[in-house]
Amino acid sequence: MLDALDKKLLRTVADLEGIPKGAYNIRKNGKLLARDVSANINIETNADGTGIIVTIKPGTVNESVHIPVILSQAGLYDVVYNNFIIGEGSDVTIIAGCGIHCGGLEPEGHAGIHEFQVGRKAKVTYVEKHFATGPGRGRRTLNPTTKVFLAEGAQAEMELTQIGGVDEANRVNEAILGPNSVLLITERVMTEGEQTAVSRNEIVLSGENSRANMVSRSVMKGDSKQNFYATMDAQAKCFGHIECDAIIIDNGTNETIPALKAKHPDAELTHEASIGKIASDQLTKLMSLGLTYDEAVNRIIQGFLK
Amino acid sequence: MLELKDLFFSVPVTDGNGGTSMRTIINGVNFAFEKGKFYAVTGPNGSGKTTLAKLIMGINPITSGEILFDGNNITGLSITERAKAGISYSFQQPARFKGITFRDLLAIAAGTDDEATLLALLRRVGICSLSFLDQPVDTKLSGGEIKKIELATTIARSPKLAIYDEPDTGIDLWTIGPMVKLLKRERDENHTTTVVVSHNRAFLEAADIVLLMNQGQLAYMGQLEGALPLLTDLSICNYKACGSIDDVRCFR
Repeated sequence: MLDALDKKLLRTVADLEGIPKGAYNIRKNGKLLARDVSANINIETNADGTGIIVTIKPGTVNESVHIPVILSQAGLYDVVYNNFIIGEGSDVTIIAGCGIHCGGLEPEGHAGIHEFQVGRKAKVTYVEKHFATGPGRGRRTLNPTTKVFLAEGAQAEMELTQIGGVDEANRVNEAILGPNSVLLITERVMTEGEQTAVSRNEIVLSGENSRANMVSRSVMKGDSKQNFYATMDAQAKCFGHIECDAIIIDNGTNETIPALKAKHPDAELTHEASIGKIASDQLTKLMSLGLTYDEAVNRIIQGFLK
Repeated sequence: MLELKDLFFSVPVTDGNGGTSMRTIINGVNFAFEKGKFYAVTGPNGSGKTTLAKLIMGINPITSGEILFDGNNITGLSITERAKAGISYSFQQPARFKGITFRDLLAIAAGTDDEATLLALLRRVGICSLSFLDQPVDTKLSGGEIKKIELATTIARSPKLAIYDEPDTGIDLWTIGPMVKLLKRERDENHTTTVVVSHNRAFLEAADIVLLMNQGQLAYMGQLEGALPLLTDLSICNYKACGSIDDVRCFR
């Protein structure tokens, strides 16, 4: 059912060696390839057949769902709408990811629109990896959107990674935080050659004592370009922080625009941003430990994107 | 084992009128370091101690002269090549990273990530807390903590020549004694030629030979006792009145 190429893509984007255990939904070239549900996690196709609805029963703990997408069909642009309903008091991990293998000249792409309803005191960890490969010169596009709604006391931890090979990415992350909820987003993007990546983040801290932390790490190699926009909109007593660091290698360019909006007198918002080449003291230190210049660069980037 | 021959190092400086001239930082240093000895390099601020140490490691390229290490001319070698030849360097202000832990640095330094080897290294440098190993080497570390990590990574190289630039900066008073002991033990057990740039008397007293630098030159080489009168002499005010401003005074 899975060929060697599928397995390679799955291993890269979902750390899967084959069909996973527990609940999963594997989508290949715009169609369902395999699915399984568990006692607490249900997966069904939505009414208009454009995506899936993953429903997690209240109180489900220590379970995970894998929902990888793999593309290896030239000329396909796959759009999918997925909904996640995470029941009260549950604690689950969702592993998504998209792997594209492009063998020809025609473009391939995927847009995943993921919406999360995280119930009261529920906790979700969402891991998403994007990766493209293949000998073809067709343009590979990935345009993911995540929308997160956190109920009272809910927590969401999102790890969004674009490892390499993606020519164009337009990412949108939106979140609305209820009272006492916590959101942590870590985004890591590496681009090279002529690639471009744009990330737009709109985080609304609407509930009292909500907390959000957005961490962005960007590496631009070659002539690639990345833009990062993040807005923390504080509408209650809350805490928000944006940390965005970009490392330029070669001739990469970057625009980073963090925005803080305090619409409540007790809002506490901070940001730190940096763009630049690798600090020379870091390179010198690693070279003094015996690494070559190139090895030192790689090691620093590897840590930075870890 | 390390020979400095007619070392000069100059940097261009811009004057007030937009012109540039050369300023000599190291002004003709000749010295031969012997294997397995402990050297302390001291002298007033701005006398060229750190610059000299960096020339040996290849961090700054020398303007003229030669550096011989174990009989080989290493003048043209890169930092990496000097590290591989057996020179190790502890920075005065260690680099801080994002996403790199003490364990990572130690593994790079030791050339292995084998747990037993790393733990043996921690014992060797006297870091007892194992939880310390997975600390990120970032801006959250205190000045003293990062200096201990710096010291550990230097020793983890098992170098023939170890250079420490002010290893006691930020280190608490109770740690300096053990640190001196550790460097002496490395010298005695592993015959590490040790060069410590320091103002701290503890290191000067531990040294076999004290090198006193002043204005880019070696003003004295020998036992500490002989250096003391000169040290006292150099500690007098070296602020200079600048032109028309005649109220510049020494506040020391």
